[in-house]
Amino acid sequence: MKIPIELIRIVVALVAVMAWVGLNALLLVYCERKYAGHIQRRPGPFEVGPHGIIQPLIDGLKLMAKQLLMPDGADAILFWLAPILSMIPVLLLFLCIPYSPLLTGWEVNLGLLLILAFAGLNVLALLLAGWGSNNKWGLLGAARAVSQSVAYEIPLLLAVLAIAFQTGTLNLTEIVNGQGSWPWQWNIIVQPLAFLIYFTSILGETNRAPFDLPEAESELTAGFHTEYSSMGFGLFFMAEYANMVVVCSVATVLFLGGWKGPFFDGWWWFLAKTYVLLFVMIWLRWTYPRVRFDQLLNINWKWLLPLAVANLLGTAFLMKVFA
Amino acid sequence: MELMAKISFVIYALIILGGGLVAVTSQSLVRALVGLISTLLGVAGMYMLLATPFMAFMQILIYVGAVAVIVFFAVMLTRADEGGEEADPAPIRQSLGSLAAVAAVGGVLSWVLLTKPVQGLKVPVEVAVEELGKGLMESYFVAFELISVILLVAMSGAVLLAWERRVKK
Repeated sequence: MKIPIELIRIVVALVAVMAWVGLNALLLVYCERKYAGHIQRRPGPFEVGPHGIIQPLIDGLKLMAKQLLMPDGADAILFWLAPILSMIPVLLLFLCIPYSPLLTGWEVNLGLLLILAFAGLNVLALLLAGWGSNNKWGLLGAARAVSQSVAYEIPLLLAVLAIAFQTGTLNLTEIVNGQGSWPWQWNIIVQPLAFLIYFTSILGETNRAPFDLPEAESELTAGFHTEYSSMGFGLFFMAEYANMVVVCSVATVLFLGGWKGPFFDGWWWFLAKTYVLLFVMIWLRWTYPRVRFDQLLNINWKWLLPLAVANLLGTAFLMKVFA
Repeated sequence: MELMAKISFVIYALIILGGGLVAVTSQSLVRALVGLISTLLGVAGMYMLLATPFMAFMQILIYVGAVAVIVFFAVMLTRADEGGEEADPAPIRQSLGSLAAVAAVGGVLSWVLLTKPVQGLKVPVEVAVEELGKGLMESYFVAFELISVILLVAMSGAVLLAWERRVKK
């Protein structure tokens, strides 16, 4: 029996993606703690390894060695389904991100749609976690996660749609190919408002501060993952960081020219841009205080949504005029 | 490829039927919802098998990502416990009614399958999104616009229901 080459390619890509997700989680935990430290004028982790560089690895080992606990009265199936459900779609999301023309795990014609569709599964996992753990904080966190992510998904989709309008394709590779190597040839120059809306919405979608109300520590202990110990929590944590990387990669593809950059095109530009965006996300978290929940929904429904609709209509109008 | 397609058809069918079974038999509303979600995912898989990835992704984006989440929210607000009146065994009339409904649909479908020859055994071809859009906005324009009227009616109905309740209080 002959194994099709496509299948081999996808399996290899899947293994690479798993390694990449783990590596990213380690790197981002370190970055997060270091940036937080320096923003608050303290060194951050410093003891394990030079400048605390082995700290995330030790943290990971600690997480794996802990006991898995489940609260009394929890719904066992839903409780354990949730962390797995939050992790699995992430692997699929990474598969179709074009790091460079060669470094694309799975060339999908509707790659943008695939990412948007499967990214929505994450909120389902949060809901199951909050409900399944039979905990009031968990349930409140889940309820917040729903109203937040349902709200923020709309301006996000509308902002992405403006780019799809403009480029006329949903294929991520083609969207990158439509942009040039120099910064003034990127989509962000034509669609600055869409980029701003997209970036604000992804903070809401990935539950990052200042929009981290589903897991607000001072109000809900830890929200939907209060009851998770060991790798149950570890999976949520990894999925959250992986989702951050995915949304920043999509921002790089849509607005910042993907793998294209001055002088030498290649995956290094892709990684550099993604990590700059991730740095901005972390920077925002340690700069702004958490918003109140009514403020969060007001920002979305009264500002982002009308702006996104206006931006989309404007894009369509200008395309008709100049086409 | 033929064999692969058949195997995936069986897998998707099992996911759909299993999800449906969980949705119908489960005592807890949230578990029933999880069954419903797995059915929706299975249907998305069927769309993939029919070479319509656009439909499949839309199915996941809209039904799993949005509708199921909203249903979950509604369930959360009701906080229906497992010992409610719905948990009592259903009266015999209800079972007979549902049996008749299943038999009617199943009967028509199996009659059609058994008497008419199977039409499309060819491998389906993927339709480009551009063509799909042109079809919706040109040939099937009226039907496409009428669907949004249905949504409008549903939305105004919801607003009307909420409004009346507020006035009564």
